[in-house]
Amino acid sequence: MKRSLLKEIIIIVSVSVFLGFTMNIISPNKIPLIQDYSSRHQIDSASSDKQKPVRQFTKEGFVKPVNVKIQDVKKMFDEGAVFIDGRPPEEFATGHIKGAINIPYKEFKDKTVEQKLEILKAYDKEKPIVSYCGGTECEISIDNAYEMAKAGYNELKIYLGGYKEWNELGYPTEK
Amino acid sequence: MNFLSNKYFLLILRLIVGGTFIYACAGKLLNQELFARAIYNYKFLPDVFINIFAIVMPYLELVTAVFLILGIFKRGSSLLIIVMLIVFIVSLTQAYARGLDISCGCFSLETVSEKSDILLRIVEDIFLLGATFIIFIKSKPIIKQEIQQ
Repeated sequence: MKRSLLKEIIIIVSVSVFLGFTMNIISPNKIPLIQDYSSRHQIDSASSDKQKPVRQFTKEGFVKPVNVKIQDVKKMFDEGAVFIDGRPPEEFATGHIKGAINIPYKEFKDKTVEQKLEILKAYDKEKPIVSYCGGTECEISIDNAYEMAKAGYNELKIYLGGYKEWNELGYPTEK
Repeated sequence: MNFLSNKYFLLILRLIVGGTFIYACAGKLLNQELFARAIYNYKFLPDVFINIFAIVMPYLELVTAVFLILGIFKRGSSLLIIVMLIVFIVSLTQAYARGLDISCGCFSLETVSEKSDILLRIVEDIFLLGATFIIFIKSKPIIKQEIQQ
């Protein structure tokens, strides 16, 4: 009895593994078996150096957004960089970095490149744009930055500390 | 508790659990990249396993669900569904407790990176777990059933 149950499980799992890998090979949306996710949260140490960091490109050919330290974020804020908040409007309304613009990731990601460019047309493609969201556990800041970089914006910076850290440091906010 | 052994009652349970699993895996099958991201957001699995998990998991859901509905390998598929549901409940609970801003990756994938109603999903999974448990214990091996009769 136990042996037949084990046999059933082995058959089911084998069929699923076979289907999964086969379909992944033939699928147009296939994903690599192993992917490095760790770099998503790595702060680019060169970003605070005096010299301008060299631009890195992604496989898809757009300029890779850079994770920046809080000191650099504050500097960019003081220099008048554009801040983009990717949270839903309800969350944005409860408080955000002073002067930030709300571009909710959820809606933004599904827009066409033309629509994205229309939304971003007021901003310079070669000047820093800081993308942020709620805080460290919030991935929207990264995803939103990549969406904008894909649309052709070359100076995307990601502020992982987000509104939470900014607010705790007592930096300028507004509602 | 005789109705628990009623074959129509068990069939309905199988349809509910199987149907939910097929519905749940559909979005993941079509967009494994997003599903991988949803798993990543849980910060639960080591990075090297994330994509393999995202590749196999939706098919395991599909195969167990189809087998459960068709009545093939009922014990094996219900036991695997029980294990999957326990994994889902544990990861949802830890995500809820840690207050992660994640999508649960449970059903549709359009809500990735957005808070979804994690508590509701946990309750749902607990119901499914109960139903699957009944299916498992009532799907006795054929030989044993014959002896009882």
